[in-house]
Formats: sequence, C-alpha cells, structure tokens
Amino acid sequence: MACVYIPVQNSEEEVRVSLDQLPRDATDILDILKAEQAPLDLWLVIAREYFKQGKIEQFCQILEEGSSPEINEYYADVRYERIAILNGLGAYYSYIGKIETGLKEKDNHFAKATQYYNRASRIDMHESSTWVGKGQLLLAKGDVEQAFNTFKIVLDGDPDNVPALLGQASVQFNRGRYSESLELYKRALRVYPDCPGAVRLGIGLCRYKLGHFERARQAFERVLQLDPENVEALVALGVMDLHANDAAGIRKGMEKMLLAFEIYPYNALSLNYLANHFFFTGQHFLVEQLTETALAVTNHGPTKAHSYYNLARSYHSKGDYEKAGRYYMASVKESSKPQEFVLPYYGLGQVQLKLGDYRSSLANFEKVLEVYPENCETLKSLGHIYAILHQTDKALEVLRKVTRIDPRDAQAFLDLGEILITSDTGAALEAYRNARLLLRKVGEDVPIDLLNNIGVLHFERGEFELAEQTFKDALGSGIWLSLINGKENNYVVDAFTALLQYKDVQIFHRLEEEGSSVELPWSKVSTIFNLARLLEESHKTLSAILLYRLILYKYPEYVDALLRLAAIAKARSNIQLSIELVGEALKVNDKCPGALAILGCLELKNDEWVKAKETFRAASEAADGKDFYASVCLGNWNYFAALVSELKKQVKHIPVHLEKAKDMYSNVLKKCTSNLYAANGLGMILAEKGQFDVSKEIFTQVQEAGSGTIFSQMPDVWINLAHVYFAQGNYTLAVKMYQNCLRKFYYNTESQLFLYLARTHYEAEQWQESKRTLLRAIRLSPSNYTLRFNLGVVMQKFSASLLNKEKRSADEMRTTVSELEIAISVFGQLAVAFNQNIHGIDEKKIETHVSYCKHLLEVAKVYREAAELEEQQSRQRLELARQVTLAEEARRKAEEQQRLQMEKRKQEEELKRVKEMEQRFERVKAKEVEADRMEFQEDMDEHHNDYEEPTNQLNTVYDDEEDMAQDPLAAVGLEDSDVEDEMGAPTTASRRRQAWAESDEDEPLYRHEDSSPLGENTQQHETGTVRDDENETNVEADDDID
Amino acid sequence: MKLAGLKSLESAHDDSIWATTWVPATETRPSLLLTGSLDETVRLWKADDDVVLDHTNTGHSLGVVSVAAHPSGVIAASASLDSFVRVFDVDSNSTIATLEAPPSESWQMQFHPKGTMLAVAGGSSTSIKVWDTATWQLAASLQIPRPESSKPNDKIATKKFVLSVAWSPDGRRLACGSMDGTISVFDVARAKFLHHLEGHLMPVRSLIYSPNDPRVLFSGSDDAHIHMYDAEGKSLIGSMSGHSSWVLSIDASPDGGAIASGSSDKTVKLWDLSMRAAVQSMTNHSDMVWGVAFRPPGGAGVRACRLASVSDDKSISLYDYS
Repeated sequence: MACVYIPVQNSEEEVRVSLDQLPRDATDILDILKAEQAPLDLWLVIAREYFKQGKIEQFCQILEEGSSPEINEYYADVRYERIAILNGLGAYYSYIGKIETGLKEKDNHFAKATQYYNRASRIDMHESSTWVGKGQLLLAKGDVEQAFNTFKIVLDGDPDNVPALLGQASVQFNRGRYSESLELYKRALRVYPDCPGAVRLGIGLCRYKLGHFERARQAFERVLQLDPENVEALVALGVMDLHANDAAGIRKGMEKMLLAFEIYPYNALSLNYLANHFFFTGQHFLVEQLTETALAVTNHGPTKAHSYYNLARSYHSKGDYEKAGRYYMASVKESSKPQEFVLPYYGLGQVQLKLGDYRSSLANFEKVLEVYPENCETLKSLGHIYAILHQTDKALEVLRKVTRIDPRDAQAFLDLGEILITSDTGAALEAYRNARLLLRKVGEDVPIDLLNNIGVLHFERGEFELAEQTFKDALGSGIWLSLINGKENNYVVDAFTALLQYKDVQIFHRLEEEGSSVELPWSKVSTIFNLARLLEESHKTLSAILLYRLILYKYPEYVDALLRLAAIAKARSNIQLSIELVGEALKVNDKCPGALAILGCLELKNDEWVKAKETFRAASEAADGKDFYASVCLGNWNYFAALVSELKKQVKHIPVHLEKAKDMYSNVLKKCTSNLYAANGLGMILAEKGQFDVSKEIFTQVQEAGSGTIFSQMPDVWINLAHVYFAQGNYTLAVKMYQNCLRKFYYNTESQLFLYLARTHYEAEQWQESKRTLLRAIRLSPSNYTLRFNLGVVMQKFSASLLNKEKRSADEMRTTVSELEIAISVFGQLAVAFNQNIHGIDEKKIETHVSYCKHLLEVAKVYREAAELEEQQSRQRLELARQVTLAEEARRKAEEQQRLQMEKRKQEEELKRVKEMEQRFERVKAKEVEADRMEFQEDMDEHHNDYEEPTNQLNTVYDDEEDMAQDPLAAVGLEDSDVEDEMGAPTTASRRRQAWAESDEDEPLYRHEDSSPLGENTQQHETGTVRDDENETNVEADDDID
Repeated sequence: MKLAGLKSLESAHDDSIWATTWVPATETRPSLLLTGSLDETVRLWKADDDVVLDHTNTGHSLGVVSVAAHPSGVIAASASLDSFVRVFDVDSNSTIATLEAPPSESWQMQFHPKGTMLAVAGGSSTSIKVWDTATWQLAASLQIPRPESSKPNDKIATKKFVLSVAWSPDGRRLACGSMDGTISVFDVARAKFLHHLEGHLMPVRSLIYSPNDPRVLFSGSDDAHIHMYDAEGKSLIGSMSGHSSWVLSIDASPDGGAIASGSSDKTVKLWDLSMRAAVQSMTNHSDMVWGVAFRPPGGAGVRACRLASVSDDKSISLYDYS
C-alpha cells in the first residue's frame, strides 16, 4: 500500500497519508500540507495521485494552491518544485484544451496553460521541462512549426533530452516526416533504453507509416512484451492484422481489438474497428453503442469521421435514411476534405438519392468522382441521377464511360439500356444484350426483368421470333410451356369452347387434378403477360388466351389480362363477351381508366351514345390527368356527335360539338405534347373547318412519329391525310395514300377504304377504276348495299359521259348500252331488296335513277344504232371502193382477154383458112386432119370459160350497187330523225343530268364520305385500345426495370 | 404432310382472280382448273405440270365470284356479282342454262356429290337456292328461320346474309355460312332447317365438309380462325388460329387429313388436322388469296394430289401435296 509521509513541523513525527485513502475533500490535505509546511514535492505527489484517481478537481485545487503567491513567497528558493507545479498545471490545461470541443473553452484552456508555462519560465528561463511543456502545448494547439522550434531550443541545449526528443518525434510525425520522426524516437530509446513502451509504439507507428510493416509489427509486439496492456499497440497490431484482409488475419485482428477493448474500452480507434466489424456481421446495436462511445472519447477529426461514418452506415443499412444522412453529414464535416476520407460522401450521395434530394446527391457523387475519377459505382449512381433529372445526354455519357472503363460491368449496361429505352430502342437492345451476355459469361443468373425487357424491345421492333425466344428463356419451364405448345391439346379444345361460354378455369382445375402443378410465381407474371401479348400479335390467339387465363387463375385481380381478353373478344366482334370481361375488370377496380375507356368504346359499338359519353367522362376523371386516352375519346365522341348532327341536319349542333372536340384535343396536347391521337383529332377538326394545309402538316407529322414501332401505328392518320389530299383535289396522291393504307394496315380488306378510293376515282372521272374498286368492295362486303347503289351511279355516270362525247364510236355505244342495262339491273335489284328492308336507301331515289338510266338507255340505243349504221356504212363504203377497183381490174382483164381472144380468133381463122386450103391439098390424108380438129375444140372450150367468169363478177357488183342505192335513203331518213332527237333529248338530258349532279347523283357518294370519318374513328378506337394496352405493357416493363 | 410449290402463272387473268375449282377428269380428257375473275371472264386451264390456257368463257358482267364443277366433269357453273349463274358445257362452252332467283344474289356454289343438284348461297335472301340439274328448275329454297324475337325491321337480311354453302359428302345435309358468323345446317331431304353452329361472329366466307366424316364441317371466317364443328352434335370441336387476316377460302384434302386455307394475309396455309395446327405457310402470292382447291382424285395419269390457289395478284399457283 503506497503512502506518503508528511513530516510534522518541528518534530520527528510524520503524518502518514495512504495514497489510496486520500480524503475526498482536498482541503483536508491542503490544510495539513500548509500547516506542516510540507516540501513541495509532496504536494506534487499528492496532486499526481488525485489525478491518477481521476479526481481532477482535487488535483487542480492542490496545484493551484501550490502555485499561489503566498506559497511562492514562502518557498521562493525552491525553484524546481515550483516550476514543476506550474508545468503540471500547464500540461493539464494543454490536455484539457486539446480534448475540449468548444472553441471558446479550448482557447481559454490553452491561454491558461500558456499562462502557467510563462510563469514557470519566469522562475527559470532555461528549465528545459518548461520548454518541453510549451512544445507540447503548441503541438496540442496544432502549431506544429512553433512546437518544432520550441523542442529544437531544448534539444540544441541538450540533444539527449528524452521528453524533447519524444516531442520533436511527435512533431515530425505530425508533419508527415516519418523517417525523421523514427530517427528521433530511436535516439530517445538509445538515450533512455528503459523508457516506456510508448516510445517503441512511436517507432512502430513510424515504421508502419513508412510501409515497413514487418518491423512495425516487431515494434508493436515489443511494446506488448514490455506492457501487455498497451492498448495502442494492441490496436495497431489489430489494424495490421485486419488489413491483411484474409479470414485468419481478420479473426486475429478482431481478437486483438476485443482484447484492447477489454483493457481500455475508450480507445476510439479500436472502437471504430470493432464497430466496423460488427457492421459487417450485421450487429447494428453493437455498432451504435461502440461508435457512440468512440465519439464520446475522441476529438480526433478523422477518427470521428470514421465513427460517424460507421454510425451512418449502420442506419443506412437499416433503412433509416434520415439518421444515416445526418451522420454522414457529420462525418463529412469532420473530415472536410473528400481526399482524406471519401466514403461518407458516397454514402451521403446514396442516402440523398434515396430521399430524393437529387441535386445534393449529385454534388456529393461528383466529389467522390474528383477523388476517384474512374470509380464505376459512383459513375453509375451519377448516371442514375442524371437519368432521373432527365439529363439524358449526361447520363449516357457517364454510363458509356463506365462501360469503357469496365466493359464487363453488366449493371452499367443494364442502366445504359434503361436510359436508352425511351430514345433509341436499337441501342437499348444492344446494351441489354451485352448485359445479358456478361452475366451469362460470369455464370450468374440473368435476372428475369432483363430478359423481359430484351423481349419487349424485340417485340417492339417487330422481331417476334427473337422476342418469343427471349420471353421463353426468361420464364424457364413451367405449366405455361405446355399451354403454349398445345401439349394439353385435349384440354385446350375444351377450354376454347368453355371460353366462349365463359367458364374459364376448368382447364386448370383439371390439370391440377391430374397432378400437374399449376404454379405461377408473381415475378413471372409480367413476362407471361408480355408473352401472351406476343402470341396474340402473332395470331396464336388460343395460346394467348390460355396464358391470360392462367394469370387470372392465379391472380384474379390482374386487370390487364382481363382487358386483353376483352380486346380479343372485341377483335372477334364478340361485343357481349367483351363487355362482360371489362365488367369483371371494373369489379376489381371500378376506377380503372383503361377498363372504363374500353367500355366506352364498346358502348359506342353498341350505339349507346349517351352511356358511352358518361363512361368516357368517368374514365377521364379516374385517369386524373395521367392518362389522356379517355380525354381523346371524349374528343372523338364530340366529333362523332357533330357528324351525327350533320346527318340529322341539326346544323346548330355541329359547331358546338366540333368546338368541344377541339378543346378536348388541345387540352390533351397541352399536357402531353406527344399524344399522337390528340394531334390526329386536332388535325381532323382543322380539316373539318377547311384548314387543309395546317391539318395536312399535322397529319404528316403524326404519321412520321407513328412509324418505327409496331405499337404506335396509326392507319387513321393515313386515311385522314388521304382525305385532305382528296379535299384539295389532289386525287393521284389521295389514291396512292388510300392504297398504301389499305395494303399496309388492312391486308386490302377494308371495304370502307375501297369506297373512299372509288369516290376519289369518281371525282377524277376515272370511271372504270371507280367501278372496279367498287366491285372489289362488294366482293369484300357483300351485304353493303350502298356499295351496289354507288356501283349503279358510277356506271350511269360513265355511260352519260360516253354519250356526251362529240364523237361516239359504235364500240363505245355498245359499251354504254350494256353498262346501262347492268346499271338498271343493279338498281332494280336494290328496288326489290328495298321492300325487304335490306338496306336503307330511299326507294324513290332508286326509281329516279332507274328511270334516268332507262332514258339514257333509250338514247344510247339510238346512238348505238346510228353509230353502228355509220360503222356499217363506212364499212360498206370501203367495201364498195374495194369492189369497184376489183371490178375495174376485172373489166380491164376481160377486155384484154377479149382482145387476145379476137387476135386468137383471127389467127385461128387464118389458120382455118390456111388449113382449109391445106385440106383441100391434103384430103388424101384424112385421118390425121380429124385428130387436129379435136385439139381445137378443146381450146375453144377453154376460151368460153374465160368469158363467163368476169360477167359473173360484174353481176354481184351490180347487186351490191343496187343495195347501196337503197341504203343511203334509209340511212338519211334515220339520221334525220336522229338529228331531231339530238336537238331535243340530249338538251333535256343534260339539264336533268345537271340536276342530278346537284342532288341525287352525287349525294349518295357524299353521304358515304360523311359517314366515313365515323367508321374511321371507330377504327381509331380500336387502335386506341390496343395502344393503351400496349402502353401498359411498356409500363410494366419499366416497372420491372426499377 | 407437305406442300411443294410447283408452278406459278402470273397474269393468268386481266384482273383479280376471285374463284377457283377443279373440273374432274372425263374419259376423254384430264381434269381442268376453272378460274373466275373480276375481269368478267371464266377460264379453263390444263394444269398438270404447267398451267396452259384451254379456253376463255365470256358472258358475265361485273366480276365472277364463284365457280363450281359437276362431279362428272362435263358441266360447270359460274356466278357473278350481277347475280346470274351460268351453267355451261365444259368442253364446248355452250350455255346450258342461266339461273337467276331475284332478289337473291349468287355467292358460293357447290354441286351435290352425286351431281343431282346445285346449291347456291343466296345472299340477302338468307337462303340456299337448290337447283335441279336435270331440269334446271329451282328445286328448293332453304330459308334460315327468323329468330322469334326479331322485328320485321331488324337487319336480318344483312346479318344472316348467306355467303357460303357446303354439301355433306353423303348429300344429306347442306350447311351455309352467314355474315354474322353463324352457320346453319339443313336436312336436304326434308328441306328443313336443323340448327345453327355458333362460334364465329364475323362473316363465314368458306365452308367445307370433311370427305371422311359427314359430321365434321370446317369453316373459315373473317375473324382469322378456322373452326371445326360436329355439324350434327352442334358443337365446336376445334379452333385454329394463325392467319393474320380474313380466311377467304378453305378446302379439305381428298385424304381428309389436312385443310388448306387462303387468306387476305396473302398466305396459303396447310393445317394438319391431327395436330390442329398450321404446318406450312406458302407465300407465293403478293395479294389476298381468294381461292384454294385440291384436285379431286381420279383421271388418267394423275400421280400426286395437287392444290391450286388464286389471288388478287392475278396469278395462279400450283402445289404438290404429299
């Protein structure tokens, strides 16, 4: 038991003071000390003992009393002890100042310390311990240079002053001159080989800093040999073990840390390391406890920064972002320079990102990036924030950089794809595929979302096979495969029948009964849905239906699947089933805007106008400004209403409805400038008002915007564009546009479009084209009688135009007659059909057409006869001319013949005479002469024949000439009567024709054009719905990316 | 089961070809291909290894929408949009009869399997007109009954407008397809309506009975599906999807194992009935395919079974079916 003995004044006695039983009240001791005038070194001993016991107050009281003026006077000659007391106080206040956090108090303490040191100096300028104290004070104040100078003064005087050497070593260490520091420590050790382990600790730290880890370790171990409880050495060794970064090292390190903690639970460094360790083992409670202690015991900035960081990290991982943010912030404040300790900036950035404070987050990540310009994680976070802030270009730049720095970073490619998905589907696909490839290379499972997105992109680009394969890869094996591949054929057929009867889940029940597992994890639902959409698009309707049903079987509230089923039913024009399905969807969510909008369209199809309007309105309200589909529908509704008013001749209502429609479209466009449907609608209204150039511009833009993906194709805009061309009289372009639209979107099956086409040909007076177009339309839509009526009109008009020609060939007139006959029979059929209520075309109108056609027919017949006559005449004239030339030829030939005959005869006669003369001479040879005569006779016969032929020919010619003589008469007579006709009939005919042109004749066609936008807009509804649903597909995909 | 493209003849007509059928072989000549077109002509083709024009028949006005051949191969019929049916001698092209039953239009036609009657889809008359092929008199008019609830004002004529017609192979039943997608089945002997077959809701443009089973009826519709019905049991047995647009024409292979279909999506598809799925899709045509027809078996020198298709692109294509 340690104790001191205070000598009693003027006696040999001593007061024994047991050091561990020092009175609580220091005044008791002081009284004794003062009363007995005890030597000052005793004062020091007692004060030090109080300090050791943590009784700071008593410590101060004794020392202050010991440095009071009266004591000074009394002990004036005891210099060293007085200095020691002052220095003790100085050291105390330096220390207090050092650990004090409040700036003001800190300064106060330092000032006090300075005061005491100055007093000590005053007692003895050269006392080295005072200088050492001053140096320590300066070091504590952070005035490293001054401290250096102060220690130097001491060392200059006494190069082996151990405290000064240690102080200077500390200074050098703080200046970062570790080798100098090491030298100083070594010197101190040489001078004073028995000095406490702390010196060796300094050596170890220097070596550690210099990178001589083995020797540092030796030094620390030596410290521990000397002082097995030296916490710093333990911690240092622990840190070194931990940094070895292998399991054994970490275990050893942690053991040392724990040991250190047991020895001295207030070492901030060890606390931090322990906290760090427990963070990784997930013991957050311990982390908080340890770091809070660490924060309480240290004042060292970087260490505190670490502590705060640990604390923040703990809260961060627990999801308490508010607290985490606060502590990260504190950590950042402690270190203040990102270069020194960058981790809290990163954490802060992450937390702020979570909390939605993107700008601050951005700033913090950028700070991290200053330190580590190529840190991929930071770059990715930055990319993410840029994407959120819609700075797409920057985001792309950053992410591209990541992929350059580390071309094997799948996550970066994923992010890149996500950003590109809205702007450049091709590049997005590329990025996603890279990500997929990388993941596969590493052997990691490719996340289903990624595959889903790749599939959707392929789908969007129309690469159905690739899309299907990708979706299937994403889904793996499951019940769906057998559904798609139709292995459950027996059930499938039943299912289809059942589906039509709306008993849907039997198939799955049966599958379950048979032991197949009908499972569908929620994570795969989106992909199943997308696959079903794809199957639908590739016309594998049955498989698609089964997949939707599977989704609904497992997740009956999956509205999108119900809506798709409704759309399928609608496409097969099963309106009733479709309405039921939508009703089902509304049961799940009666405010589902998509379902309401589809319901509205269906109601329109059923001609329930008022209901439809209400439904659209409800849908628009339910959408709450987020989805504009219903608003566009309302616009359309008003537009139809205008058209209907026009049909009903309620002229007043037209502008009202049109204006309302226009407002609707414009409003949507204000909120969402890229809404193609609203733009199309606005174009329609403008066209309706005659502003063709503007509307054409709009339509063209919409058309361009709509091309590219299969989800936003809009045939309506093509039709509208064609309408505008038509209205502007640009028939060629209109025809082309209609034809392209038919081919591109309708497989040439839309008879309504054929009707538009026919009308365009009609206006362009291309009658035959118009007729053929109508015939095609009738072939496609046999029960549409207006087409037949128009066919009649076209043929009538064609005939009339032929009749109006100045020169009419007989062929043309024959065509006219047959066309008119057919037209009459066409109208006739319509007239008969009218009685059976087959069509709504006015009977009287048909009659007028029939009678007009009949009239035309009469005229045409007359013309035809005339033309035929003329034709015959001209043919006859030609024939005559030919005959005449022939006859002349014959006559000429005959004459020649005659002449030849005459000559021959003369010769013969001469010959006869000669022969007769000869005969007379040669009667003797009678036989021979007879033979000669035979020969002559034959000759004579031949000549006869020659004579006869020409005469015959002449006769026929004359016959013809006789005919001709009669025909002209008849012809003239007929033609006369014709002239009369021409004077009378055609004028009335043309007048009447004009009248018709104004009223009936064109009206039917106009009427169809008027009704045309109706048809076209219902189509728009359809495409609208499809788009809507597909949007949902996209949305889903996006969700998944998140 | 496979189709192999054999020969395509471009510009076989001056305009869209709307109908086709095979005229069976007679003792004196092989079978011929008969086509009808919007150009108002009907043409006969020798279509063995090459497609060679045999002769052209004129006389129709407006387009020719349907052609049919008598099982004997001696006579054939063609119908046009003006509602007239012309019956003619195949070899001499002499007109045998001109049939008209106003206000009924004439759409798809088919001869009775024994050739005793000709059935014509009667359009807005909502009936099948059955003509006696001996006298060329109207033998029967099989009317689709009005639903009891309907008012006279209802557009029954438009909904039940008869587009297509088919005889069962035993000649006892007639089926007809309508604009609203319903199929009506009649008992021919009693001239009695039996029942409707439901499933389609869009026009049924083509009907054909299975050559093997007089109960099984196939239908092609604008809803892009081909249905398979038990026509007696009133039930839908199967539904086959794959076309992306209207199914305009179907025909059953003589062996009964397959169906060929032509669609406005420009393809000709072959459907394996055992798999109930399309096994092949031919893309010879550049526009909608209005007609497909399997050549009936028989005749001298016939080796493989053959399929012909005609299209709006004015061409005829031939395929070997095996």
